[in-house]
Amino acid sequence: MILAASIYFFAALAAAATLLMVFQRNPVKAALLMLTALLSTAGLYLAFNAQLLAVLQIILYAGAIMTLFIIALTVTPQAWRDRPSPGRARLVLGLAAAALILAELLKVSAGLRQLALSPGFAETGALALARELFGRFAFQFELLSLVILASIVGAVTLAAKKGG
Amino acid sequence: MHVYPMSSYTPAAISFILFTLAAAGFLTCGSLVRMLMFLELMLNAANIAMVTLGPATASQAYAAMLFAIAAAEAGVGLALIITLASVFKTLETGNIKGLRG
Repeated sequence: MILAASIYFFAALAAAATLLMVFQRNPVKAALLMLTALLSTAGLYLAFNAQLLAVLQIILYAGAIMTLFIIALTVTPQAWRDRPSPGRARLVLGLAAAALILAELLKVSAGLRQLALSPGFAETGALALARELFGRFAFQFELLSLVILASIVGAVTLAAKKGG
Repeated sequence: MHVYPMSSYTPAAISFILFTLAAAGFLTCGSLVRMLMFLELMLNAANIAMVTLGPATASQAYAAMLFAIAAAEAGVGLALIITLASVFKTLETGNIKGLRG
C-alpha cells in the first residue's frame, strides 16, 4: 500500500516539476526543477525495488549531469541574456503535438491493463545486476566504453578548437 | 506474490506522461541549453518505462548502461552548446540562422 502511495507521490512530483519547468523563465530555476524531477525519479526507482538504479540515478543524473548543466549555464552568459519568449502559435502547436503523442501512447498501451505488474521485482540486488552486466551483456557493456571514449574525444576536440 | 496493487498500465502511463511533458517543453522552448535539459528528461522517462515493464534484472542492467549513455550525450551536447555560444553569440534557436564550417 505504501509502495503504491509513494509511486503516485513521486510520479506526481516529477510531473509537476517538469510542467513548471516548461513555464519557468529563469534558467537556473529551470535546472533546479529538473533536479527535482530527477530526484523524484530516483524515488520512483526505489519504490519499484530498483535500489541500485536509484543510487545510480542520484549519483549520475542528479550529481554529474546536473553539475554539467550548471557549469554550462555559468560559462555561457548568452543563456541569461536571451529572453525565451516563444510565440503563442509555437506554444500552442508544441503543446498540441505533445498531447497528441500522449493520447496515442496511452491508446496503444491500453492492452497493458490486463497485465499484472511482474512479481519478479521483489529482489534485484547489485549482485544479480553485476552477473548480467559482466555475463550476458558483457559485449554491450564493453561497447559502452567505446561510446564514452568517443564522447570524451569529441568533447575535447570541440573544446580545444576554441583555444588554438 | 503481487506487492503492487496496480496493473502494468500505471507505470507505463507515468512514463508516458513524463515523456510527453518533456517533449512539450522541448518543442516550445527556444533556448539550446533548455532543449538539452528536456532531452535528458525524455531519456529519463523512457528509462522508467524500461525498468518497470521489462524483466527485472535484464532491464535494470540495460538501464544502468543507458545512464552512461545519457552522461556521454550530455557531455558532448554541452561541449557543442558552448562552441555554438562562442561562435554565434546567442543560444536562441531562432537567432542561429546559418551553419557554416
